[in-house]
Amino acid sequence: MSDSILLFLIIDVVALVTLGACVSRVPAVASGVLTAVLSGAGALVCLPVLIFRLPDTALALPAGPPGMALQLALDPLASLFLLTIFLAGTGIAAFQAVTPPAPGQPSLQVTILCVAGTAFALLAGDGVSLAFGLALSCATIRKGPVWLAAPLLVLIAVCLLAPAGFAPRFDTIRAAPLESGRTTAAAVLTFAAVVSLAWPRAGERCWSRDALTAGVILPGSAYLLLRVITDLSASASQGWCGSILMLTGGAVAVLQGWRSAGEADIDAIVTALIRRQAGLALIGIGLTVIARAADLPGAASFGLRAVFLICIGGGVAGTLVSLAAHAIGASAGTFRLSRLGGLVHLMPGTSVAMSAGILALCALPPGVGFASLWLLFQAVLSAPRTGGLPVHVPLALIVAALSVSAALATAASVRLIGVAILGRPRSPRGSGAQESAAAARSILLAFAGFSVVAGVLPGLVLSLLADPAIRMLTGVPAGPFAVVSLSGTSPGYLALPVLALVALATIAVILLARRPGPEEKFAGIWADGMPPPFGLPFGEPAAQSTGAGFLPALPAIPAVRLLSLVPEPIRVLAAAWFKPRTDSPGSAPIRIAPIRPPSAIAGLWLVLAAFAGLLLVLAVIG
Amino acid sequence: MTIVLSLLTQLLHVALIVAAAPTLAGAMDWLDARFASRSGPPVLLPWHDLLRLYRKTPMPADNVSPIMRFGPAVALGATLAAAALVPSFTLGMAMSPLADVLTVASLLAVARVAGTLAALDAGAAKPGLSAQRSSAIAVLAEPALLLSVTGLALMAGSFNLDLIIVQQREGILLPATASALVFTALVALVFADAGARDRTEDAIYSGTSLAMVRMTGWCRRLVLLNLIGGLFLPIGMATNESGSSGWAAGLFAWLCKLVVFGIGLSAIQTLAGRIPGRSLPDLIGVAALLALLAIVLVLASGGMA
Repeated sequence: MSDSILLFLIIDVVALVTLGACVSRVPAVASGVLTAVLSGAGALVCLPVLIFRLPDTALALPAGPPGMALQLALDPLASLFLLTIFLAGTGIAAFQAVTPPAPGQPSLQVTILCVAGTAFALLAGDGVSLAFGLALSCATIRKGPVWLAAPLLVLIAVCLLAPAGFAPRFDTIRAAPLESGRTTAAAVLTFAAVVSLAWPRAGERCWSRDALTAGVILPGSAYLLLRVITDLSASASQGWCGSILMLTGGAVAVLQGWRSAGEADIDAIVTALIRRQAGLALIGIGLTVIARAADLPGAASFGLRAVFLICIGGGVAGTLVSLAAHAIGASAGTFRLSRLGGLVHLMPGTSVAMSAGILALCALPPGVGFASLWLLFQAVLSAPRTGGLPVHVPLALIVAALSVSAALATAASVRLIGVAILGRPRSPRGSGAQESAAAARSILLAFAGFSVVAGVLPGLVLSLLADPAIRMLTGVPAGPFAVVSLSGTSPGYLALPVLALVALATIAVILLARRPGPEEKFAGIWADGMPPPFGLPFGEPAAQSTGAGFLPALPAIPAVRLLSLVPEPIRVLAAAWFKPRTDSPGSAPIRIAPIRPPSAIAGLWLVLAAFAGLLLVLAVIG
Repeated sequence: MTIVLSLLTQLLHVALIVAAAPTLAGAMDWLDARFASRSGPPVLLPWHDLLRLYRKTPMPADNVSPIMRFGPAVALGATLAAAALVPSFTLGMAMSPLADVLTVASLLAVARVAGTLAALDAGAAKPGLSAQRSSAIAVLAEPALLLSVTGLALMAGSFNLDLIIVQQREGILLPATASALVFTALVALVFADAGARDRTEDAIYSGTSLAMVRMTGWCRRLVLLNLIGGLFLPIGMATNESGSSGWAAGLFAWLCKLVVFGIGLSAIQTLAGRIPGRSLPDLIGVAALLALLAIVLVLASGGMA
């Protein structure tokens, strides 16, 4: 059965490529629907491979020089990511089919070829096929010669791993012994390819490209890293490579979290939240590599589960919010947060879908984002603690990065939902927004349903879809993520009971608060006793929050003046040395600011810094 | 039998939390006044306030979404859910498998988010400013809380509250220095939480909604105090096997802890004064740094897991 499924998927990809080549000759709606049908069929076909644990299969294409025919293969890892990108492709293509094309936006052809190219790369069984698929995908989303970078780098990486004199086939690489130097070089090249594939272009603002990035490019990038670093290089994993990946991911997650909470436009907020998911996935891959290097398959499975949940949940939710942001911007005439508002009354269906997607991308239970975060924390908890300071400090930093990034994403979500969707319209154009068409709304609500299901039943989703891939990469099953353990010895995060508990408590509160009595009296918001402006019975809408001030001011350097800590004679000498001397008689003498005693807070910081320094010294000494 | 006992203790725990939250708030207001040499309001004043607000004719804001209407209820529900998970007088309650410190911290965040969204939905200036302020503080405070609980989880090798408390009680939650650092961080966060409390809620809500918002604040403080009491002073906590005498001892120990915490907090607040808003980031930053140091210390000591 696996062989037929692989054959079907190849035909599906070829059909997509053919459709992409002649899309201009087919009516837009028909080509959109056809793309959605082809992508949807691809996603459906991948399900039995994962659910029924069908065996791996491979197929040699009659192309290429003798003995080096292109290899295509289907295993659980490829099937999982194929399902994700086909699902996103279905939603994006269907949405494009029912939405009037906007000027300056990429056409449906980009979506079709990007999905087809990435699917071909996922089906690849050797380096050449992988590079070919990536080239097809990159050529559609990247302009200029940069599109060649990712396929070439990946091809070199796979060739480095292949034994001398053999074709760069994945099964050959897995069977051969690996040198650590080659695996390191391959990891670096793959990481560079992923950066060139997923790195945003300056000033790029395009909803369909954002949706493709969330649903296709980022899962495809995660697949590349997993395939090369944790699958092909599994026997020679390097812990420090994992640390670097993890720290890079932490930096990306925090920076994009900060951006998301500070951007002024909803599409920019959405883009930053999607890229934050890429940072989280990198952290998960890094933790997996560290655990693999220390031969801890259980810990590695936590990292992998987090990566898979981020790719599935983040892919669906990211696609959803990109599409919903476009629907809102097109209807309200602006993406500016300070000019939107009250969309829950004007576009209820789109607003509900947008809120569901945003909550899935932040870190609040019972969203899928919280389940991913919980798994990442669990992976940190199970990470190896041997290796001294170079291992301990990155792990501590990652805990901090995860915590800060989660809080920032929550702030960004509150800001977007609270300012753009709730409240009252802030501009006349915004108050004229109309609900999306029924077809577009149905697509958005279907994706919202997927992300809610992934959040409420993360264990089920993982055990159904990701368990075979986790077994393949670590050799251990997915574990008791969704199992209620009354003994309390191996409890986990149980999203459904937590949701039930909150719902029960909320319903109890609502029922207690209800009482027979006088009717409710509706009133405008109290405005400090001031009468409302003429013609605005509910007050001035521009007085509402505009979305600024949701972030704290960046902390300044602690109140310790470093200069004042230096003894005065040295400061005089230093100032005299660095200040250019003027021999003119009227030149001002060198003035040194008087030393001021540090404040109490500065003293506290000093104590903490001294403690930290002492700790580091102790850790270095061992 | 064990299941029945665990359900019974769970119900008793929730009832005690609901009863204790307003009473503790009233007692702390009375203590604040006494420390300032004033006679002080009645200890049961919060209960009278709740009853008064319940009897008032509801005056919801016009032209708002269901978020404004149900936001306070969701906030109180999420806080009560968090409170139900943090043990007070006994371990092994029915919901102990759900009692994950990350979940507890996130449920408190859910409650805050529900309140913030309701405030933004009001569509007026003052609630919007209040929402901005609470969000800006939360961006600092929530990571500090997550760092603190992760430090403890790294020591215990699990995020489950009951398991962490059992290890602390048996003295195997090591290193003790890291435990002390996390304790300090959590106490600092309780002070920051008191300093960050929003005083503009009367301008946003009325009637039962205002009662829910006030109850949410009181329950939140009690959750944090229970967390500190359970994690760092697990003295006298009963188990399912302890029997009625063990439960009575656990209840007495919990009440003693609440009295000590109440007097301590009031005394420190009287001596040091309320934390001004501009100093909150410094205080929370110090708490976060202490928690981070605790994590490095745990990892460097090669503790549990």
